[in-house]
Parts: sequence; C-alpha cells; structure tokens
Amino acid sequence: MDLDKAALSRRVQELLSDIPRERQQLLPALWRVFEEYWHLSPEMIDAIAQTLDIPYADVYGVASFYALFANPDNKKPIYICTDVMCALYGSEDLLKAGEDLANDAGVRVKEAPCLGHCDGAPALFDGRQTIRHASPKVLAQIIRGETDA
Amino acid sequence: MPEIRRLLPTLDIASAPTSLERLRERGFERALQRSAAMTSQAIVAEVQASGIKGRGGAAFPTGAKWAAVLAASGEVRYAVMNADESELGTFKDRALLEQDPLGAMVGLVIAARAVGAKRAYCYVRGEYREVEAQMGAAIQTLRQAGWVGADTVDIEIRRGAGAYIAGEETALLNSIEGKRAEPRVKPPFPTTQGLWRSPTLIQNVETLANVALLFAHDVDWFRTYGTPDTPGTKLIGLSGHIEHPGVYEVPFGYPLMQLITETEMGHGVSGSGHLGAVLLGGAAGTFLAPDEIRDSVLDYGSLAKYGASIGSGAFMVFDDTVDLTWVLTKLARFFADESCGQCVPCRVGTRRILEFLQRGELERRPEDLRDLAQAMKDASICGLGQTAPVALLSILDRLERRTNETRR
Ligand SMILES: Cc1cc2nc3c(=O)[nH]c(=O)nc-3n(C[C@H](O)[C@H](O)[C@H](O)COP(=O)(O)O)c2cc1C
Ligand code: SF4
Ligand code: FES
Repeated sequence: MDLDKAALSRRVQELLSDIPRERQQLLPALWRVFEEYWHLSPEMIDAIAQTLDIPYADVYGVASFYALFANPDNKKPIYICTDVMCALYGSEDLLKAGEDLANDAGVRVKEAPCLGHCDGAPALFDGRQTIRHASPKVLAQIIRGETDA
Repeated sequence: MPEIRRLLPTLDIASAPTSLERLRERGFERALQRSAAMTSQAIVAEVQASGIKGRGGAAFPTGAKWAAVLAASGEVRYAVMNADESELGTFKDRALLEQDPLGAMVGLVIAARAVGAKRAYCYVRGEYREVEAQMGAAIQTLRQAGWVGADTVDIEIRRGAGAYIAGEETALLNSIEGKRAEPRVKPPFPTTQGLWRSPTLIQNVETLANVALLFAHDVDWFRTYGTPDTPGTKLIGLSGHIEHPGVYEVPFGYPLMQLITETEMGHGVSGSGHLGAVLLGGAAGTFLAPDEIRDSVLDYGSLAKYGASIGSGAFMVFDDTVDLTWVLTKLARFFADESCGQCVPCRVGTRRILEFLQRGELERRPEDLRDLAQAMKDASICGLGQTAPVALLSILDRLERRTNETRR
C-alpha cells in the first residue's frame, strides 16, 4: 500500500478523533485503525502512538500481542476454525478450498482456534460475522465478496 | 429428566431479547428494584447464602469474592464481566448472551452496586461481533430505564483481539488498561488490587446471569435445583460426535450419560454411533471413558473421583474412531501458540509436549512427560501453564490403568 505518510497520519487522527487520549483506549484505537486497513503497518502504529501520545514501542508491543491484528497487508482476513471440534466436521478441507480460492481474490484465509461455535461446526469468521456450518460454497461466496448465504 | 430452563429463557418468552418488556418478563426489573433497596452487606450475604460458584471454570464461591471486594480498602472500585470465552468447546456464554443478554448485564449492575463500583467493563472476545452488538443494545435499554448511567454505574464494552490468555482474569485487566494481555503474579488478587490497582470484582457471564436470577427470586427458589453443595443449574455445551449439539441447561447432580442420550438434549452419539470418550471442561479438561461417564454426575465431588472437573461446561464427544493422540496433539499446539511466554516452564514446556506428541513418544516416555507436567504445575504463574498438561495426564493415567489390568 502506497499511502502518503502525512495523509495516513491525518486519516489516523481522524479515525481516532472521538477516542479519549488515554492509555486504556489503546485497544479500541487499534481496532479502529485495523478495521480501516485490515492490518497495522509500522507507519500506522507510529501515527497511533503520536495521536494517543503513547511510546511507539508500547503501541507496537500491544498490537503485536493480539492474533487478530496479525495481518501483513490489506488483504482482509477470513478465519476458518481448524480446532478440534471443527476438524471433526471437515474444516481442513474447507481451509484448503479457501486457500486455493483466496490466492487472487484480495482476501487472506487464516486458521483460527475455537471460535465458540462448535455446535455449528465447521465455523468461520469473516471479520464481521460468524458463519456456522460453513460449506465450501458459502466460503467461495464470501471470498468473492458476494453477500453471504 | 427434561432440560431445565432458568438461565435460558423458556420457549414461551417471545419479547425481543434486549427490550424493556423482556427485562420485566424475566423478572430482572424486580431483581434490580429488590437489590436497589438492599444494603451492600445484605446483597453480599444473599449471594453467599445462595451458594453460587463461579461458572468461568474455577468454581470459586461467588459470595466470598464479593465479600473480599467489599472489605478491600480503596475509594474507587470496578466490576468486570468476563465474556472472553475462548476455551475450546465452550460456547455457553455466547448462547446466553444471544438469547437473554439482559440477565448477565443486570447481574453486573447488581455486582457493581454491591461492591460500590461506579464503572464496569464487559470484556468480549473479538470474534463475537453479533454478541457485542447485542450487549450494547442491552446496556442501552438499561440506560434508558435509569439503571445504567453516570450516577449509578457506567458500563463500557471492551473488545478483545484474539488472545486466549486474555480470558485469565489478571491478563484481562491488563488488556483493559491498554497493555499486553499478560497475566500478573497473584497475590495480590484482583479483589484487592485489580484495575489500576483498585479493588475489582471479575465474574463470568453465566455467574452474573445466576445473580440476576437469584435477585429476581430468592435463595430458596435458587436452591430448588442442584445439590446442597453446588446449588443451581449449569449450562453445558455439547459438541463433536453428538446428534444434537448445542447448549443445554441442567441442574448440578445431573447424570452425565443422560446429557448424551436424552432425546431433548444430545439425542445420542453420531459418527460411528459408539461413544469413545468425552473431553470435559475444555482444552485443559479431562478425558473420560464411557464407563466413567456412565458412573458420574455433574458435580465437583463426583467428578473428582476421576480427577475431572466441570470447567467451563465444555462437553466434547468423540466416537470410538477418533484417535485421542490426534486430539492431544491439537491441544498441545493450541497451548504452545497461546502461552504468553512470560514463564519459562510454560513457554518451553508447552513446546516440549508438542514435540513429544509429534514424535509419537506419548507411550514411550510417560515418566518424562509427568516430570515436565509437574514442573509446569509448580512454576507457572497462571492457570494456562499450570493446567496445560491435564488432558494429557488423564490419557497417561488411562494407559497406565490398562497396562496394570493386563499384567494382573
Ligand atoms: C488461560 C485462562 C483462560 C480463561 N478464560 C476465561 C474466559 O474466557 N472466561 C471466563 O469467564 N473465565 C476465564 N478464565 C477464568 C478467569 O481467570 C476467572 O477465574 C473468571 O473470570 C472468574 O469468574 P467466575 O468466578 O465467575 O468464574 C480463564 C482462566 C485461565 C487461566
Ligand atoms: S503460565 Fe504460561 S500463559 Fe500463564 S503467565 Fe506463564 S507463560 Fe503466560
Ligand atoms: S472448535 Fe471450531 S468453533 Fe469450537
């Protein structure tokens, strides 16, 4: 992504404009920025650090702690649960199907531990909502950006 | 025995889950009014008399915790709802918050009032977006009705971001404070030094829903179900090789096998149709064999005989074709990934266990595994490291019993 640094900094400030300048607001702030870009680059982390007046190393330390913020670029992540209960219901196949399709679709398919929907296995999380009893067909629709069934 | 519905609303309740009408229909408005007329001491005494134990996994007596926070010194106090629910096989808090979010939220308001907290947090895992929205709507309803606000208690939702360890209470507090979600050394406990070192009450979603029910009724009503030692009902999440997976509410003391066989509940084993094992309590739970399931009821005393516990209420069913070493390997990878790395025995031990299993050394080096498990138990600062080897140990015990039997 080739965002101009000043523009990025302005955009981050805008995104965080109604967030109080407190350390305890760091996690909500990270979410705001992450959901705009689907990743947190060093430039974004720097902009957050500047805006909230928290040291860069601290912001980086917190951002890198959480699995949901771990995404290398702006390809939107889709999480497929491959934990024990979903594995009994074919999540590995779902993952493979997803990885093949996602390659050139601008999204990234990732493995996730238990999503808390084991009674609807296999489950997937598209970043906004959870799909229960996910089939390769539904996954393909999500990857292609069609409204999910 | 059919399913009980107390925590989960009965099927004739048709009002919208976050509506004022629901608040009334479920008796939660009464609960708020009744507790508002009581002193802190009286509220805590009633929670103690009810015998409610924590439903997040550790089964700590809830009333004792409230008493500790109440007795702790400090002007500012906090109350926290733990809705991080990231334990394997656990989805009961989600079901509860989907079906009846006002219950747990009312429990949080009562808890805050009892311990003198003006500010409360609901910490919800980042993947529960629908639940988060529902919680927001429930808070809004309570705000409009005057139960939540600047002069009562303000409630803020905090969204986690994919860290199992954040569900551990002190890690969760660090996460709220905007730090890495790493557990703190205990003591001091959150009851005396929690959020920003102030006394903090932290309870699981289901525990708080029980509190709301208690105050909607009374101690006698609350104790009509369950055992004298563990009163009330428990939400159980049935998953895996089971005909009807889902969340079911049963009284403590309920026969475990019936959860599987009752037509209203599990409706029998699916897959091969033959029960192989149940993993009870979560990733750090215990494997139970079919005869152990047949022999046990849902209570801490009964399960202690097999070294098992109810944990979060995860009840994972495996048919007789599932290779339990495969399950153990997946659990081991999970713990290795989720260890926060602060303690060496946990960081190294979780990796070492994974390697043991990947090399197929489970049956060849049981003593080494036991030593490792003991070291992790002794020298890890939080429950993750202390209990990560529990499921593995339950399999080692079983293998040992089998060897002894064939020798005889
Ligand atoms: C690794 C780990 C993860 C935990 N995750 C959760 C969780 O997701 N939800 C929860 O309520 N308790 C969880 N707990 C237990 C909490 O530390 C704490 O005991 C609980 O929230 C207290 O509430 P209760 O007494 O109402 O059960 C976890 C504990 C550990 C060690
Ligand atoms: S026991 Fe493990 S997860 Fe817990 S604090 Fe230590 S390293 Fe972190
Ligand atoms: S194991 Fe996939 S949702 Fe629980």
